[in-house]
Amino acid sequence: MRTQETPAVHTAGLGKRYGSLWALQDCSVTVPAGRVTALIGPNGAGKTTLLKILAGLSRPSAGEVSVLGRRPGTDAGFLDSIGYLAQDIPLYRRLSAGDHLRIFARLNRHWDAGAATDRLAALKIPLTRPVGSLSGGQRAQVGLSLALAKQPRLLLLDEPVAALDPLARHEFLSSLAEAAAGGGPAVILSSHLLHDLERVCSYLILLSASRTQLCDAIDNVLATHRVLIGPHNKPPAGVTVVEATHTARQSRLLARLDRQVLDPSWDVHEVALEDIVLAYMGEDAAPSNGMLTPIGEAS
Amino acid sequence: MNTLMWRLNRSQVQISAAGLAVLAVLLLITGIAMASSYHSFLGTCAAAHTCADGHSLLFRGDGVLNALVYATVVVPLLFGLFWGAPLLAREFEAGTNSLAWTQGVTRRRWLAGTISWALAAAALWGAAVTALVSWWRLPENAVGVPYSGFDTGTFDIQGIVPVAYSVFAVALGIAAGTVFRRLLPAMAVTFAVFVGLRFVIAEYLRPHYMTPVSKLIPLLGFSAGTGVPAGAWAMPGNDSVIGPNGQNYGNAIQIGFMPAACRSDLSNGHAIACLAVRGFHTQVIYQPANRFWAFQGIEAGIFIVLAAALIALAWRLVLTRDA
Repeated sequence: MRTQETPAVHTAGLGKRYGSLWALQDCSVTVPAGRVTALIGPNGAGKTTLLKILAGLSRPSAGEVSVLGRRPGTDAGFLDSIGYLAQDIPLYRRLSAGDHLRIFARLNRHWDAGAATDRLAALKIPLTRPVGSLSGGQRAQVGLSLALAKQPRLLLLDEPVAALDPLARHEFLSSLAEAAAGGGPAVILSSHLLHDLERVCSYLILLSASRTQLCDAIDNVLATHRVLIGPHNKPPAGVTVVEATHTARQSRLLARLDRQVLDPSWDVHEVALEDIVLAYMGEDAAPSNGMLTPIGEAS
Repeated sequence: MNTLMWRLNRSQVQISAAGLAVLAVLLLITGIAMASSYHSFLGTCAAAHTCADGHSLLFRGDGVLNALVYATVVVPLLFGLFWGAPLLAREFEAGTNSLAWTQGVTRRRWLAGTISWALAAAALWGAAVTALVSWWRLPENAVGVPYSGFDTGTFDIQGIVPVAYSVFAVALGIAAGTVFRRLLPAMAVTFAVFVGLRFVIAEYLRPHYMTPVSKLIPLLGFSAGTGVPAGAWAMPGNDSVIGPNGQNYGNAIQIGFMPAACRSDLSNGHAIACLAVRGFHTQVIYQPANRFWAFQGIEAGIFIVLAAALIALAWRLVLTRDA
């Protein structure tokens, strides 16, 4: 899918190395503007690394990256255009939400104080208590409000709901969907579980073992993947097998279809997104690609 | 930027301000009392023509107050530990650097604001403490009999060096926090390096800032005390006995090295007179009292240069390393 607009994110062969370990390798993704994108991958897949590079916090070791048509950096022009919320939602614990809003208003050029205050008021989050005393869900909402108040064109959220209980998670994602709707920023949010994000995302990047496995609109992913059940022999032409299970009498293939399967000996079934994602993650769990050792993301 | 710095460091500033206020009240009250007793003493002693025992007559505060004044020697270290080290280490530890670095100010501006704030505060507070202490010590400095401005208990807490120590300690804390990115290691390294460097410089480098004055004076008696002028800093090798051909006999000449004619009567007066006649002298080596400000300037310069190097290191690391 191509749009005429500058893509929110475009990377080619992007990689990041810490010492001799690659935290992210050969990552080539294009995310159109205006989408809410799920960045999915198991722990250690390079999600945090990719988001840090996109936010200009980390310099890539290889490849190219462009965010909203610019190279991520530490210049004010770039920083104005992005919002970033790191893992575990770091905030100044002794300052209140109101303090954060007042202080950050002075550090940004396009600050929307009213919207942020209204959002927090609507969520009944106290503006005067130190954020260290707020619940995880409330802190996440404060972090989101701060990131949105910058009025960014791209919002990068690293595992924003990982530590939240189901209700807080639901509320956070509702807030996010609302903010992203109708001319809001493009959003990329990461999680190790697709299930968390499926409701709000229309685009998917799947990282596994520090490589890109999928990068596409969720509709496209669903349209091009099928489960094929058929005779225990060679897979039909025009498919790329993602995951195969064999029994004595038949094979079950989860495959990407480059064209329609016409061979009548194969039964073709639709498949749920979650199964597709799991199949891609499973593919790399096998040691076929064993040169890579997943390493911790936090760095 | 300034609002952020103020809100993040408000409690440290408040605690430091309270400490400074307590010190100021104590020293102002006792200092005024001391100054007035000094002036009345000057009046009486001038009339009596004996001003030598002013040291014992002068109210100098009690032991606790003196100890407190000496204790201000640790003030720069406290700035390093509690202002410098946490400044960036705390941000890295809590991950709030990634929050600050994705706001609409460049990392360079954020860093400049943060660092300059801390350095300015250290200089200001250091100056306030040393100004108080230097003022409080004025009468004592004036009448102190066994007094030298170069004593570590004096030199290190008066004049301008405490300001340089404070700036250096904060720079050291900032650099350690940047390198280690954790508060406790940063504090430990700040402590160790500050104390170690201060000791090494005071003990081994300071005596060599300027070439000491070295000259021969008439031979001193065996219990005549030192031959250096009042307020001077005696250097190693001071008060050596120098023979007529320039041989150095150390602090006391052994009987075996004395000319035979002088050995017959070893009573103090006779032996000294005998040696003096034969060309023996005492050599004095010292830093004159009037070099106090030159030494203060040199030492302050050294610590400011070191502070600048540490800030440059922190600057480079923060701007080039990943978040």
